[in-house]
Amino acid sequence: MLVVQNVNTYIGRKQIITDATFKIHPGNIIGLIGPNGAGKTTLMKTILGLTKFDGQIRLNQTTVTENQHTALTKVGALIEHPAIYPFLTGQQNLTLYAHDPVDCQRLISKLDMSTYIHDHTKDYSLGMKQKLGIAIALLNNPQLVILDEPMNGLDVEATIGVRRLIHQYAAQGTAFLISSHILSELQKVMTQVILINHGRIIVNQPIAEFEQFHHQAYELHTENSQLTVKLLSSHHIQYTLDGDTFQVNPKSIFEIQDILSSQHVRLKELTPISSSFEQIVVHLLHQQRGGDQHND
Amino acid sequence: MAFSLYQEFYKLSHRKLTWIAPLVLLILMILTGLSIGYNESKLLMTTCYNAPDWIMLILVIVGSTTFSMEFQNNAILTLLYKAPNKILVYLSKYLVILGYNLWLHLLAILFTLGLRAIPMNQSMSWSALYRYQQPLWENMLKTSAIDVLTTTFIISLIFLLSCLINSNAIVISVSLLMVFMGQFISANLLNADRFTTVLRWNPFNMTNLTRQYYNYTTYFDTSHLLNQQLLQGTLSYTLLFIIVGYLIFRKKRF
Repeated sequence: MLVVQNVNTYIGRKQIITDATFKIHPGNIIGLIGPNGAGKTTLMKTILGLTKFDGQIRLNQTTVTENQHTALTKVGALIEHPAIYPFLTGQQNLTLYAHDPVDCQRLISKLDMSTYIHDHTKDYSLGMKQKLGIAIALLNNPQLVILDEPMNGLDVEATIGVRRLIHQYAAQGTAFLISSHILSELQKVMTQVILINHGRIIVNQPIAEFEQFHHQAYELHTENSQLTVKLLSSHHIQYTLDGDTFQVNPKSIFEIQDILSSQHVRLKELTPISSSFEQIVVHLLHQQRGGDQHND
Repeated sequence: MAFSLYQEFYKLSHRKLTWIAPLVLLILMILTGLSIGYNESKLLMTTCYNAPDWIMLILVIVGSTTFSMEFQNNAILTLLYKAPNKILVYLSKYLVILGYNLWLHLLAILFTLGLRAIPMNQSMSWSALYRYQQPLWENMLKTSAIDVLTTTFIISLIFLLSCLINSNAIVISVSLLMVFMGQFISANLLNADRFTTVLRWNPFNMTNLTRQYYNYTTYFDTSHLLNQQLLQGTLSYTLLFIIVGYLIFRKKRF
């Protein structure tokens, strides 16, 4: 559905996004994560044709350029702050963009906004404005929805409601690209993760694969620790030893099993050391920074 | 285009300022009638009780906020990505303000018909001859039509400034300064009697178009241009400002 190919984005002469390439298919919920200033919002704006860029962005085979947005008719977005006119009521703000009044009413009730929807938005709280912004993004049955920090200012109930709504829309084929600093919240909805740092995409994987491949270490117990130490050292496999427990790199686990098996050393335990999603992300960012410094 | 126009019209029609402005126009017209109406009945009827100046004031305020409200309410990004291209956003805003301009002029004519009927001033017959040996009704209609062109020129200037400056207050201040001081700036430039043939085509001079039409003898000495030349200058600058304004809008980073 959405194809982003070798996209470089510039603000003035400064390059913000470098060689971004990824695809979004119907029903995908992509979590776009990265530190402050990594280029998340810029990447979202680029997809919406709001920045100067080169490379290719195609939505349903139609190209998006900085000045040609015809392909974006079925795209909804909430970028930076909700686009709300304070002199209009919530209902009027929705009417301004809505093509179908029934769809509009359905969103109002699903987001539980009925009690205040006829009030002027200048009196809305941050959370109320945020919900209205999300409703505007979800209007007109979009095929792709881009949400930049959608959970900002939302209370617990609203957060759950928005999460449920995202799942419902995704089940009907709507794709989502969501950025958030609240990783735990993002983790509950996303099916794929894009990790961006310094304007470069460093990870683009389905969430299950991401978690599987980025476990930082494995714990190893064997029935003969001394022999294991010898074998690992002789094969130049890195490890740390704490009592009888080895900690090894996930990349080495198959090789280790083969070596131990050939010497008839039986495994007592080989388990991934569970890391939270947050820890994995931080680790990857550290790793990349190290790489960058090394390259510099 | 139709949906962009609908959106702009919807926003304009839901702003309080849009509806308060005609009331302000009426009050200012009445005040003008009360202050100079006794001596200048014909002039008042021709100029719709000095409506050109009051409409200019209203348009500066309404027009300046057309873009700045988008910047200040963070709505410009939504507006831009939802529109097929940037020119539609720019043009639909321009056309809606142009429609509002026409509506204000129509209201000014209706208010003039009403004010003439009340015993505020010495009532003159609409068929009485006045400027260019034409009846008052013709003077009034032609002055209003010409003022639509002058105000369209002003709207183009306001749009250009709005695309250059994000702050509402600054756009309003600069626009008011240019619209109401522009005439004096131009007059001072031309009073120097140097390079008059070139300097008389300065854009500030074009703000004299309406005034010169209903008061040729006084204003020709200020503008150094014939009515026809002023009209050509106004139309050319209008087109130039629209194009330059759009190019700035197109290049602007949001």
